Amino acid sequence: MVAGRPEAPVHERPRILSVGTAHPPERYTQAEVLARFAPPSPEVRALFQSAHIRTRHLYLPPADADGQPAETQAELLQKHRRGALDMASRAIPAALDPLGLKPEDVDYLCVISSTGFMLPGLSAMFIRHFGFRVNCQRADIVGMGCNAGLNGLNPVVGWAALNPGRVALMICCEVNSALYIHEDNVSVAVVNSLFGDGCAAAVVRAVPPDEPAPLAPQVLDFESHLIPETWAAMHYTWAEAHGKFSFVLDRDVPYVLGTHAATPVGNLLARHGLKRRHIAHWLVHSGGMKVIDAIKYTVGVTAHDLRHTTGVLRDCGNLGSGSFLFSLRRLTDEGGVRRGDLGVMMTMGPGSTIETALLRW
Amino acid sequence: MGPFETLGYAEAGRVATVTLKRPLTNMRLVRELTAVCDHLEDESPCEVVVLRGEGGVFHRGIDLTDFRPDQEVDIHGFNKWEKLCARIERLPKATVAAVDGAALGGGVQLALVCDVRICTPGSTFQVDEVHRGFLPGMATWRLARFVGLGRARRMLAQARVVGAEEAHQIGLVDEVVDGLDAGVAAAVAAFGPVNTVALQLGRRLLDESSATAFEDAIGNFLAAQHRACTQPPFQATLAGAHRGSKG
Repeated sequence: MVAGRPEAPVHERPRILSVGTAHPPERYTQAEVLARFAPPSPEVRALFQSAHIRTRHLYLPPADADGQPAETQAELLQKHRRGALDMASRAIPAALDPLGLKPEDVDYLCVISSTGFMLPGLSAMFIRHFGFRVNCQRADIVGMGCNAGLNGLNPVVGWAALNPGRVALMICCEVNSALYIHEDNVSVAVVNSLFGDGCAAAVVRAVPPDEPAPLAPQVLDFESHLIPETWAAMHYTWAEAHGKFSFVLDRDVPYVLGTHAATPVGNLLARHGLKRRHIAHWLVHSGGMKVIDAIKYTVGVTAHDLRHTTGVLRDCGNLGSGSFLFSLRRLTDEGGVRRGDLGVMMTMGPGSTIETALLRW
Repeated sequence: MGPFETLGYAEAGRVATVTLKRPLTNMRLVRELTAVCDHLEDESPCEVVVLRGEGGVFHRGIDLTDFRPDQEVDIHGFNKWEKLCARIERLPKATVAAVDGAALGGGVQLALVCDVRICTPGSTFQVDEVHRGFLPGMATWRLARFVGLGRARRMLAQARVVGAEEAHQIGLVDEVVDGLDAGVAAAVAAFGPVNTVALQLGRRLLDESSATAFEDAIGNFLAAQHRACTQPPFQATLAGAHRGSKG
């Protein structure tokens, strides 16, 4: 019988060396959002009164004469672009500075966003504005939703493994307030009451053997799980009446995601001869309280294991693709990780999909 | 499995029996019980686990000869014991504590982490750590939930020896049985079908109930219920119900 944690492989894998985060300057309580736009329906008002989200940082427009925000789709796209620049201007140095790095030191840039379509993409805009080198390699991952942080981390880690010592920067940049349409119905209000604006930048690098190994997580492996029969459970649609895109979220999908979550986690751990009890840290996407509850009881993790997931949700709402990096930042700041600790990252989103990654500090 | 120095382990049919052969807990016993938990979680086909003592003692708690006055306090050792208790509490098996004789300190806690507790008429329960200048582990958290805060305080403060009948009256044990083996067999049979997932979910909701606001607990329940309803045992129950209504 094997006692304790199985021995991990010895070769060095790329590490997430630092995470920098940023939000819009304005922060609102749910009550303040309600007071600003005053939807009449009691069901909609009740959604904003759930205790699981207290505050969110948002780029909110002023209310018009009817007490409603007036933003055209063109204005929402502009907000996406301006908001991304604003938040990234703070998240990028927050990730690079602690490592003594400058934008010109970055060799590979991967930008992830689902809150506005742009061409050229955010990566080109960031190079133009922030002083990354013009020969910086880049990729934009657009439109994959809340799970996309791990869909991006996978090729970033692959690139870093192929280029030991060189610097990759992944930026998850979501201006979710550029997705809002305003209508007095529950399915729209679920989105408007849940999502917040935030940007997380992460430096990924395979540390060469002649450098001391920092206490930062190596990314060992990934496992994905698509649930094709729930294709429409979370989707983007054109709301003809509003002349805007609108995000639609099925009521029961959190439980379906929860039911499936044990499968990729089980596959990921089994491949490394691990059990759930060997995992010290869980970094789960702050999708909403229902899906967090579902994961607690299907994957078998405690409220304590998900403290950063629920804490990020409470303080910031669902930040989309970068949420799990906000949790990693909180875990790091807590100072409780030890060398050799194992962790699992998990993000859930449209597809419907569950993405997982295995970490070792 | 094994060989173990501090305990015996045997599987027969759907029952795994863990016999505590050492009346006092040392780190070796913690390690060996942890290894038994690994086996029960990963490999054992058994559905029920019986935890019992030997030679007229259930368990007498921590072995203080493991500590030396000149050493620093090993708080992590206490944490290993508590992690072990929590794992036994959450095993994917139905669990019975079968007490014959003295259950002291940590022994009381081992009984509290099981689903069902039975004891023989001569058994006694005592939490005497405070009298010896330390604390009875997370029995400080569990005991009051079984017997009420007042009784727990009295047991803690006076190190009161509680006999089998009184233990039954105050909810510390579920049944006093004349013969331990027959009592164990009856308790095992009384579990009926062990639906592991539903048992673990239900037990966890109960454990969390005292510290969870209703508004949070209802969300937890709905998530747990969704999972239970997707499991084969409930699907079989549903299929049976439909056959019944047609017949």
